[in-house]
Amino acid sequence: MVASFESRPLKVAIWLMTAIGLAIIYVPPLYLVAVSFNPALQPALPALSDISLTWYVALAKERSLMSALQESLLVATVTALVATALALLSALAYMDLGKWRSRWFMFVLLPMFVPGIIQGLSLSVIFGRIGLKPFWGTVAASHLLWALPFAFTVILTSMAAVRRSYLLAASDLGASWWRQLVDVTLPLIRPGLVAAFIFSFLLSLNEFGRAFYLVGRQNTLPLAMFGKMNSGASPTIYALSGSIFLASILAVAFVLLAARASDRKLRR
Amino acid sequence: MKSPGFLLALPTALIVLLLGFVPLIVILVWSFWTWDPATYWIRPELSLAGYEAILEAGRWSVILGSLGKAFLTATICVVIGYPAAMAVHFLASRRTALLLMALFTIPFFTSYMIRAFSWRLVLGRNGLINGWLTGTGIIDQPLDWLLFSNFAVNVGLVASYLPFVIFPLILSMQRVEPSLLAASQDLGAGFWRTFRSVLLPLTQAGIFAGFLFVFVMAAGSATEVQMLGGAAASMISVMINDVMRVVNFPLAFAISTVVLIILFGLIFIGNRLFKLTRLFEGFTW
Repeated sequence: MVASFESRPLKVAIWLMTAIGLAIIYVPPLYLVAVSFNPALQPALPALSDISLTWYVALAKERSLMSALQESLLVATVTALVATALALLSALAYMDLGKWRSRWFMFVLLPMFVPGIIQGLSLSVIFGRIGLKPFWGTVAASHLLWALPFAFTVILTSMAAVRRSYLLAASDLGASWWRQLVDVTLPLIRPGLVAAFIFSFLLSLNEFGRAFYLVGRQNTLPLAMFGKMNSGASPTIYALSGSIFLASILAVAFVLLAARASDRKLRR
Repeated sequence: MKSPGFLLALPTALIVLLLGFVPLIVILVWSFWTWDPATYWIRPELSLAGYEAILEAGRWSVILGSLGKAFLTATICVVIGYPAAMAVHFLASRRTALLLMALFTIPFFTSYMIRAFSWRLVLGRNGLINGWLTGTGIIDQPLDWLLFSNFAVNVGLVASYLPFVIFPLILSMQRVEPSLLAASQDLGAGFWRTFRSVLLPLTQAGIFAGFLFVFVMAAGSATEVQMLGGAAASMISVMINDVMRVVNFPLAFAISTVVLIILFGLIFIGNRLFKLTRLFEGFTW
């Protein structure tokens, strides 16, 4: 550790900024989660004795939200499957591309920076012109572009577990490219594949802007929620937002813990 | 080993090109076509009407305003994110560093809409902050400017995109040779001196990458303004939605084109100047 970073006021200042950063990210949504357990109509922290699941129970009766949830789960599953498969291929390609690596990396990452509304609008006019009616597949097409860069980066990072020497050894023992992939690379990057799938799923489930121009008759969940949020929010929306937020956190935490566990196993 | 690299890249290349880039290029071309009120569509006659319309009705000021908001957001994110990255890289124990990185990773995969929406509960008239301020007697009347204001939008944008600045910064700090910092100290430089003349210059690629990521994401954002902005508040994406409500395709395409050229121009210039992709090549085979 660098000695001059050890001065006390400096350390306090650095940690304080870190705490502010985390508070800005986490306090509002966690407050929303707490509010969702308050049976009163007026949003406020519930007293401990008042904690209730009223709004969560009421949620089951919200037909439009539930069918939107179903649609979103379908879109997210398709997006995650395709994104993981493409990201795996892209990461394997990256390893082989030599001096083209940087350009390839940039190419796969770029769609992430296209504003969602613009990407969705451009896709919807193209689909419209070729006569493709909007349905869950058109939404998944746009979500794929948003999820792929993340899935690609995650799998690429997990490739660090595959040492060149492992592959050379396999190759010396006569393993073909395919056998090396199936018997060496894939088992080593399995945590990365699972992470890529779950992350892509969540990115799709939570994506709002890209779907706007691409949904058919059935809204996706974020679009349905957007409507509810802006029409004098009934507290059921807090329950739904809260549970989606918590579920997302738990899923990411699971991925990170699993990655850490397999990391440890490798190092042993 | 035989090298199937290009073959492996093919499916992704096709998908990204066909779904990602071709539609954008097509709307770029179509932004120069003529609006045909008879068909509610455009016909292939050169027209700059879309671009002329950008100059009307304060649309330029919305574009500039969005870029201004994005600039402010990115600056604040760097100011908060740099110390946070320092905490992760220089101060935290391994366990704490992993925990912090996890906490900064999680928000990428949660809903931006829900997070923006939750600020309403914090900033509103009956919200957390006003409740606390009036409860403790600091003010008598709740503050109205906290919510549905530019202030709220900027807070929401910082909260949304702060994680984007952290990881480039951590990556760039990992590339700083610790002996350089030690040498600076041995030569008698205090923290600020070392910070200014060694750490800051060596991490400038990370600073720029982080700034750029936040800037681009914020400039293209919609939910934060829709959830937290005042009645007249606009943002590029919201303006495109408004234009599309009256199906003015050439104008929507022209705005999109201008915005994409600005954002992609920044990314390419940044990549040229700072070799941003190299930041992410921390691992080698």
